[in-house]
Amino acid sequence: MNPLELTLGIMTAVGGFVDISELVFAAKAGSMFGYALIWAFVLGTIGMSVFGEMSGRVAAIAKQPVFNLMRHRLGLKLGLVTLIGSLISTLITCAAEVGGMALILNYLTGLPYPLLAVASVIVVSASMWVLPFKWIERTYGLLGLMMIVFAVAVVAIHPPWAKLIGGAVPQVPSGLSSKELLNYSYFIVAILSAVLFPYESYFYSSGGIEEGWGAKDLLTNRVTCTVGFGLGSLLAISILAASAQLFGPLNVGPEIPGTSALEAAIPFGRVGLMLALLGMLFAVAGAAVETCMSNAYAVSQFFGWEWGRHAKPWEAPRFTLAWIAVMLLALLIVLTGVDVMSLVEYAVLFSIIVLPLTYLPLMLLANDKSYMREHANKWLAKGLGWLFFVIVTCAAIAAIPLYLLTSGGSG
Amino acid sequence: MRWLLLPLLLLAACSKGPEADLPYISQARSLAAEWALINEQASQGKLTPTYIETMRKSVREQLQTSAKALSEPQSGYAKEIQAVLKEPDGARPEELRAHAARLKQVEDSLESA
Repeated sequence: MNPLELTLGIMTAVGGFVDISELVFAAKAGSMFGYALIWAFVLGTIGMSVFGEMSGRVAAIAKQPVFNLMRHRLGLKLGLVTLIGSLISTLITCAAEVGGMALILNYLTGLPYPLLAVASVIVVSASMWVLPFKWIERTYGLLGLMMIVFAVAVVAIHPPWAKLIGGAVPQVPSGLSSKELLNYSYFIVAILSAVLFPYESYFYSSGGIEEGWGAKDLLTNRVTCTVGFGLGSLLAISILAASAQLFGPLNVGPEIPGTSALEAAIPFGRVGLMLALLGMLFAVAGAAVETCMSNAYAVSQFFGWEWGRHAKPWEAPRFTLAWIAVMLLALLIVLTGVDVMSLVEYAVLFSIIVLPLTYLPLMLLANDKSYMREHANKWLAKGLGWLFFVIVTCAAIAAIPLYLLTSGGSG
Repeated sequence: MRWLLLPLLLLAACSKGPEADLPYISQARSLAAEWALINEQASQGKLTPTYIETMRKSVREQLQTSAKALSEPQSGYAKEIQAVLKEPDGARPEELRAHAARLKQVEDSLESA
């Protein structure tokens, strides 16, 4: 294991962990429920580490990408239903990320939002065309590390540490009305969905195959998924904690994604503001790349096309056309004028619904000794895998009723 | 269990009046408070001019959307939202927080009803 590669891998995972949905829901959860929803991020991150590690291990040992498995394990019909569901949910997520990029650039430059959406798509697509896979992932992940300013801001504003740490324990805050309880439940589902977005494991496992992972990379995979995702989650938790401390007492929702940047501006002024906005920009841009490529991976793997960024774009033409089409469709959605916050709501809603169907085949293969040999799931991975499968299935069943009953967590 | 959920979902989808306006009142309350925070931090020189301008514009646009979505445009809370919209860009944070506090009162009373 090369220590430099490992460190870079961890840092990339940290910087690439947060996306627009986590930004929005962490800030809202903190202002509405104080520190009481930190545990939802912790739980989601453990789940993400479990499934991420599993998908990386399957990629390294069985050399099977998620959507290839899906077709074989779920059969053509159910596999196709899952593929369509995943494509729609990830496309909406991609549109939310593109809209998020344009909004953040708007706070930085003041230029018109539609123009910035077009410019963002051109720049991100150019980086995907030019850079090899490893450097696409690293560029955005490492630049996203500027979001560490949120963690430093939490220390600077002196939160009540005992309460903050206590938030990591699953709880239902006392004194909530039935409406607030429904809102609280909606936020649990939304946070789990935002942390466990299915595109993350498609991208991660496809990346493992792109980079030619083998048994020698299993330790790197495990450390990246536990340490990298764990530290990345701390950034989302920092946004929640700063929001609980700074926004909650002032009745701030927040209703606009740019408000989160005030968490760094309040203690550190303009430098904090710029670091927060730039960190958010690169983290969201990284997520736009991941969602776009995940859809191209999904459709190419499902239909058995040549895929991957290890090849030149013209050597995998259908894969290349697929990611260009996804990016253009995401841009079209943004240009219709739909609100970014609404896109974020729809993204988490659709994603949690398809989540159980994408994790089931992955878990079945990771349990299968004929494919995975001595690297098949042991009792801990098996137990955690099934536990999280039950959790995401319950969340998927509850998602639509909770969304309707709470008007998307606002009523 | 599903048949129990159905009337609730229908109720949520069909309700009108102050109850149905609650999400918009809550949104407007938060926006007024966000605007106050922006102006407060701006007065301390902690924000860039571009950020201040674009955030104020976003707040106004969202407030207008909330105001238009209300099912009872003649209600007290609708007038309060209109009053927020009439504030100048550089309104004093205390003024904006007073609007937010009044909207919060409406919100709380509707929630407890």
